[in-house]
Amino acid sequence: MDPSLLNAPEADEMEPKKDVVPVWLIVLMVMLLYWGAVYFDRQGGWFSPQVYAPYRNLEEVRAYQPGGGAGDLFELGRSVYGQTCVACHQANGLGVAGQFPPLADSEWVNEPEPGRLIRIVLAGLQGPMTVKGQQYGAATMTPFAPILSDQQIAAVLTYVRQNADWGNKAPAVTPEQVAAVREKIANRSQPFTAPELLSISPAE
Amino acid sequence: MNYGALVFLGAFVAVSLSWFGMVLSPQVQLGRQTQGTNSVNTAELYPVQRPGLAREGLEVYRANGCVYCHSQQVRQSGTAVNVILTDAGTNAAAAADALMKSRAGVTDANAVGLSAGLPKAILTDVDVDRARAAVEALTSAGAKAEIEIVPVGTDIAWNWGIRRSVAHDYLYDSPVLLGSLRVGPDLANVGARLPDANWHYRHLYAPRSVVEGSAMPAYPYLFERRPIQGQPSPDAIESKDGFEIVPTSEARALVAYLLSLRADVPLFESPVSVEPPPQETADTNSAAGTNVVSPQASASAQ
Ligand code: HEC
Ligand code: HEC
Repeated sequence: MDPSLLNAPEADEMEPKKDVVPVWLIVLMVMLLYWGAVYFDRQGGWFSPQVYAPYRNLEEVRAYQPGGGAGDLFELGRSVYGQTCVACHQANGLGVAGQFPPLADSEWVNEPEPGRLIRIVLAGLQGPMTVKGQQYGAATMTPFAPILSDQQIAAVLTYVRQNADWGNKAPAVTPEQVAAVREKIANRSQPFTAPELLSISPAE
Repeated sequence: MNYGALVFLGAFVAVSLSWFGMVLSPQVQLGRQTQGTNSVNTAELYPVQRPGLAREGLEVYRANGCVYCHSQQVRQSGTAVNVILTDAGTNAAAAADALMKSRAGVTDANAVGLSAGLPKAILTDVDVDRARAAVEALTSAGAKAEIEIVPVGTDIAWNWGIRRSVAHDYLYDSPVLLGSLRVGPDLANVGARLPDANWHYRHLYAPRSVVEGSAMPAYPYLFERRPIQGQPSPDAIESKDGFEIVPTSEARALVAYLLSLRADVPLFESPVSVEPPPQETADTNSAAGTNVVSPQASASAQ
C-alpha cells in the first residue's frame, strides 16, 4: 500500500465551505413563504366564523346566497318588522299618536347615513323627542341587540328606509354597518336619548 | 450540566403554542356564536334548544356508544348553481336574444326551445356570476328565472343532509357528538330522514327486523317485556302470548333525541336554496319506514 495514501484527507473532510446556506435556497424559501401567504389570503377566509369550505372568503359566501343582493334584505326585513316592530310602530308605520312615533316619512328614518338608526334599534330609545313636529317620550323603545342579528337589523332598517308605501326613500343598510356600530356600543346598557343621538354624527 | 431552565422553556413554549392554536383561536373564531345570528330567509331563531326529553336522550346516545359507529357531520365538496326558467314571458324571442347577449355565455337559445316544458333548468352547474347575468338578462326581457344553489358532495348524494354542517348547528349540544367513524350512516339529519318513532323503536330493538342484514347491534335492554294489562300499550312494538314489548324511558328519550337531529335550516354560512314546500304528501308519508319523507311530515311526527 502506498503510505502516502494513509495521510490523505478524506474527500468529504476537506475545507468547509464558507457560505453554508446557498443563496438560491434562501430565495426559494422567501418565495415559498410569499406563495404561502398569498394562498392563505385567498383560501383561508381570514378565520371568519362564517366562511366554510368550499367557500374561500366572505364575498364568495355572499355571492352564493340564494336571494343575493339587497332585494331580499327588504323581504327579510318585512318579516322581521312583522314580528318585532309592528306591535308599537304599527303595520302602516304610522305609530300611535303620543306614544309611538311614526316611521313613515320620519326625518330620523330618512337620514342619508344610518348610524343613529342602528343605535336606536340596538340599544333602544327613551326620553323626549320630536318626530315630524310632534312630541313623544311617554314610552320607551326596547333594545334589540340581544334579539336580532346584524343581518336582521340591516334587513329591518332597509325595509323601513326603502318602503315606498310609507313615503320613505333612503339608502339600504348593510349587515357590516350594523356590526361596526354594534362593536362601538358593545358596553352600553342604557337606551339612547334623542339629544345624545343628535350629538353623534350619523355617519359614525 | 443543568438544562432545567431550557427544558422548562421548551415545555412552556409547546404548551402555550398549543393553547393558542387549539383553545384560544377557536374561541376567538367561533366562541361568540349565538342563537339566531345567522339564519337567513326567515326571522326564526336557529338553532333551538332540544326539548328536555331529547336532551336526556343525548346522554343515552353517549352511554350506549352510538358515536363509535355514527357521525353527525355532513360534508360538502362544492356548490352547483343552476338557473331555472319559470316563465318565458310574452316575448320568448326577446328573452332568448337577451340571454345570448348577456355575459352568461349562452351561445344558442331560441324562442321555441326556451318556452318549452317550463319550469326547467336552462343553465346547470355554472359560475354564480354567469347565473346572475342570465337571470338579469331574462328579467329585463320580461321572463322570469330563478337561481338554484345546490350543495354537492358524497354525503349529500347519500341523502344525509341538504347542506354541510357548520358550528352553528351544534350550539346547544354538550358534548358535541361529531363522531369520527362511519360504520353506520351519518345521523346529523336522521330526524328529517326517518321521522317515524315506531320505526326507530323496532330498529333499536332488532335492527335486522327492519333493515335486512343490518350490522348494527341490537339494544334489547332498552326495552321491557311485560304482561299485557287490559288494553295493549299503544307504543308496544310487539305483543304475543299475553306479553308485550314496550320501550323503556331510556329508549323514549333516545328516540326523541334521534328525531330532534336535523340541521336543514338554511344558514348564511352554508347557502342553499330551499325548494318550495311540496304539495300535499300526507298519503305517502303514512308508509312508515320509507326513507324519502317531506320535512312537513317529520315536523308533525315529532
Ligand atoms: C316597545 C315598543 C317599540 C318597539 C317594539 C319598537 N319601537 Fe321604535 N320606538 C318606540 C318608542 C316609544 C319610540 C320613541 C322613543 C322616545 O320617544 O324617546 C321609538 C322610536 C323609534 C325610532 C325613531 C323615531 C322615528 O319614529 O323615526 C325609530 C327609527 C324606531 N323606533 C324604529 C324601530 C324599529 C325598526 C323597530 C323594530 C326592530 C322598533 N322601532 C320597535 C317604541 C318601540
Ligand atoms: C357497531 C356499530 C353501530 C353502533 C354501535 C350503532 N349503530 Fe346504528 N347503524 C349501524 C349500521 C351499520 C347501520 C346501517 C344499517 C341499518 O340501518 O340498520 C345503522 C343504522 C342506524 C340508523 C338508521 C340510519 C339510516 O339513515 O338508515 C339509526 C337511526 C341508528 N343506526 C341509530 C343508532 C343508535 C341510536 C345507536 C346507539 C344506541 C346506534 N345506532 C349504534 C351501526 C351501528
